[in-house]
Amino acid sequence: MANDKVYLLIGGAQGSGIETTSYVLTAALARRGYGVLSNREYFSNIVGRHSYIQMAVSSEEIPRSHTFPVDFVGAIDAETVFTHYDDVREGGYLLYDKDTQNTRLIQIKSMESELAERLKERFQELGIELKLASLIDYLANNVGVKVIGLSYRAVLDKLRQKYGLGLAQLQRYRSSIPIGVVAGLMDLDIDSVVYGLSKRFAGRQKIVETNRFLVTEIMEEVKELYGSPLKLEKSKLDHDELLLVSGNDIVGMGKAVGGLRFQSYYPITPAADESLFLERYESLRADGESKGSMLIFQTEDEIAAITSAIGAALAGVRSSTTTSGPGFSLMAEGIGWAGMNEVPVVITIYQRGGPSTGLPTRGSQADMLFSIFAGHGEFAKIVISSGDHMEAFYDSIWAFNLAERYQTPVIHLLDKFLANSITTLPVPDFSSIRIERGKIILEADKGPFKRFDTSETISPRPVIGSGAITWYTGDEHDEYGHISEDPVNRDIMYEKRTVKKLELIDKEVPPEERVQLYGSTDADFLLVGWGMVKGPALDALRELEGEGIKGAYLSLRMLNPLPSEYVLGILEKFGQDKIIVAEHNIMAQAAQLIRMNTGFQIKKQVLKYNGRPIFKMELADAIKLLLEKKEGRVVLKYAK
Amino acid sequence: MQSSRLNYKNDLWIDWCPGCGDFGIVNAMVRAFQDLKLDPSNVVLVSGIGCSGKTPHYFNVTGVHTLHGRAIPFATGIKLANPQLTVIVNGGDGDLLGIGAGHFVAVGRRNIDITVILHDNQVYGLTKGQASPTLPRDLKTKALAKPNIQDAINPIALAIASGFTFVARGYAYWPEHLKELIKMAIEHKGTALVDVLQPCVTYNDIFVVDYYKDRVYKLENDPNWDPVVKENSKDEVQEKQAKALEKAREWGDRIPVGVFYRNPHVETFEERIAKFNPLYEQVPPVMQKIVGEDGVSPSITRDDFRRIFEASLVKVEKL
Ligand SMILES: Cc1ncc(C[n+]2csc(CCOP(=O)(O)OP(=O)(O)O)c2C)c(N)n1
Ligand SMILES: [Mg+2]
Repeated sequence: MANDKVYLLIGGAQGSGIETTSYVLTAALARRGYGVLSNREYFSNIVGRHSYIQMAVSSEEIPRSHTFPVDFVGAIDAETVFTHYDDVREGGYLLYDKDTQNTRLIQIKSMESELAERLKERFQELGIELKLASLIDYLANNVGVKVIGLSYRAVLDKLRQKYGLGLAQLQRYRSSIPIGVVAGLMDLDIDSVVYGLSKRFAGRQKIVETNRFLVTEIMEEVKELYGSPLKLEKSKLDHDELLLVSGNDIVGMGKAVGGLRFQSYYPITPAADESLFLERYESLRADGESKGSMLIFQTEDEIAAITSAIGAALAGVRSSTTTSGPGFSLMAEGIGWAGMNEVPVVITIYQRGGPSTGLPTRGSQADMLFSIFAGHGEFAKIVISSGDHMEAFYDSIWAFNLAERYQTPVIHLLDKFLANSITTLPVPDFSSIRIERGKIILEADKGPFKRFDTSETISPRPVIGSGAITWYTGDEHDEYGHISEDPVNRDIMYEKRTVKKLELIDKEVPPEERVQLYGSTDADFLLVGWGMVKGPALDALRELEGEGIKGAYLSLRMLNPLPSEYVLGILEKFGQDKIIVAEHNIMAQAAQLIRMNTGFQIKKQVLKYNGRPIFKMELADAIKLLLEKKEGRVVLKYAK
Repeated sequence: MQSSRLNYKNDLWIDWCPGCGDFGIVNAMVRAFQDLKLDPSNVVLVSGIGCSGKTPHYFNVTGVHTLHGRAIPFATGIKLANPQLTVIVNGGDGDLLGIGAGHFVAVGRRNIDITVILHDNQVYGLTKGQASPTLPRDLKTKALAKPNIQDAINPIALAIASGFTFVARGYAYWPEHLKELIKMAIEHKGTALVDVLQPCVTYNDIFVVDYYKDRVYKLENDPNWDPVVKENSKDEVQEKQAKALEKAREWGDRIPVGVFYRNPHVETFEERIAKFNPLYEQVPPVMQKIVGEDGVSPSITRDDFRRIFEASLVKVEKL
């Protein structure tokens, strides 16, 4: 019987090629029309530490979340087996390298001592000897995991004989072994795999050919021994083409469509890949014809990143900068200047675990309140957040529109979970995309111009170079932009830039675009969240509905200004007992934001702050637990 | 447009201390603009924070008074978005060489076509006279509690080491000479520094007019002084830079002003960008259309999108 959903996990040392494994498999599956969501977990390390890819594959939809246990764990090294031994379900499949079976736990120096210690304790409880072979025996005999042991050396030896590859080259093919096994278990045809390989290794036919041989051999062997128990039904998704994109890619694409002409950045994980992606496309070439030029500018630090982006915006181009927590901290003063001078600039933040450098390569949602309040003094600022890849695409355009319409910095708050997740996405619909440049003036009469005309909340904005002569200053200023400490002028300007602007945004941007309610207000409970919590939230809700518990999900998209009355209206329909917030921080920042804006207190919280994504099963469990209580907090722990 | 003095100066009251060297800088800048007949609507003055930071407000050209130390990256963004603008930075010594030193170095590496005017008064004027990065060690200016225990940066040497392709020093009380330097700096294709000795009449009681009066001399008075790189051979560049660095060290009984180094042959950042991206040069980014014919849709259509990002597209073939 074929499946409609399969969960895979493939692990190996950082730098051993599992990113390629994931890309090739995702492309192969996309080729046959399946939906894939593939997340990458890795250390802040270039080579040697444990990393893994988690893939959800579906014949019915584009997967939104991950869950445990999985159907298949593919281990490139012994560390992966030790680390993920309990991630595979009963009756699921474990691939491992038979040549590593004598490896003892203490020999794995790359493993963090805390994990090694926990495993030791656990294995002793279970009566497992601290050696891979004993663990494998235990999994096969006590858990009912089907173990696929291959001698990777033998596999590579065949390649050496056939293609005469050197030792270092051969090692790179270790990460192709799981491709063969997955292809066998899922009954993927070799043509789709070759399609994936060719996309990854475009123009490098030799590598494609070698891989084809390796994958075919393994695939046939696996099929013979195990059949294809993870075979998916024919895809029901109705797309004749799919984009294969990471979160970084799709945001870059959105910016390009939105008219980006200047992006500054200082390298930081997990943001830099967006700029690198854009740089590859900086001349926006469609069949050789350049549709515009985007300048992707690597600066000396994040202060130069934000201030050069502001400079470019003053000169009239759509301008943004991309960063993560540490870099954003350095930008605070610049953002204040942009607020003071009503500059439309977009700051894209991919949150990672803080404070300080924290967990540099792990996800988080701890910078919401910091983003809203970043910068000294008071000024209007828009903060938006996206729930998935498609939202991130449209929101990247929306951010520019909001920035130019309201002449204010806009923060697009994303996270590592999005940045490093690859998904299959239909090509976005363009019919509703608008480019709204607000009161920009690209050509003006020559001469001095009141850039900060107070007769309207949003003043006309002749750009530098338009002909108009304008002045800007971070000091309080008059309508021309000259320094003024006059108290009467101060009040007028201060109000214009803060509450008046925020009120205008609140009035003009419909609340339905700023928060999204999934499900109806007569559901049994309401889950509230923001950003990438959306995927696991909607999937947990679906699972609970199967158990007869009907929930709704409120996704907060514009965090500042929050559509307070609208949100309060929804919350009050449910009442305190039925509302749970879920987010990736310890302070329940969304709950605090709601309380600050509406006075409504959410007393049930599901929080996760260990840097790993919220998984569907743990969220569903936490919701069930909290529905029984009047109040409480559940901290989610599932993590590897 | 006729370029009378009024076109470049506005009538705002200048609130610097009477006798401040900054007046000389404004004066020289106005005269330079007049001589070059710059279109006021095409000139952008970008300043940092300090007494010097107020400079743009006194001009009738676009002025951007930014953050402490950040005038250079602001100016960089403006210039790169619209390379047709004439962009000039006015910054203090604390601003450009203290808090903003990283940007000063970085702009030299890029050779962006902008001019940097350094208001060099050896003190933090606006915060009431603390030592700036150009105040030599062991000196005690008026507001200091004890002599300065940090060594001074040499702006000329730092600029040359950072890759500035035009490096000059002027004296605020020689506006005619300073004007010529500023003109050369503006006309120079690449990053230009004009380090201006600018006496602070209130807080600097050492580097006063009397101090400079008999010490400053013009480099160009020496007929053998030739700071200009001509052939751009590696040897020639090294030799000219070495001579400039040697001259930069001269500070005492004689203080040189004039052009220390000029190399017009180095590619600007804008040219480097255009090499990979020809459209950047043909149509400045700000003039590029981002909205389609209908005035509301993006100029990139869905079909363009599919072609631009073709490498990310998977053609689905179900079996
Ligand atoms: C981030 C920051 N730190 C400190 C200050 C305070 N501050 C204002 S002006 C100034 C020093 C200015 O000295 P300089 O750059 O030499 O300019 P001058 O006033 O001498 O022209 C300082 C430190 C500030 N505005 N911003
Ligand atoms: Mg100074």
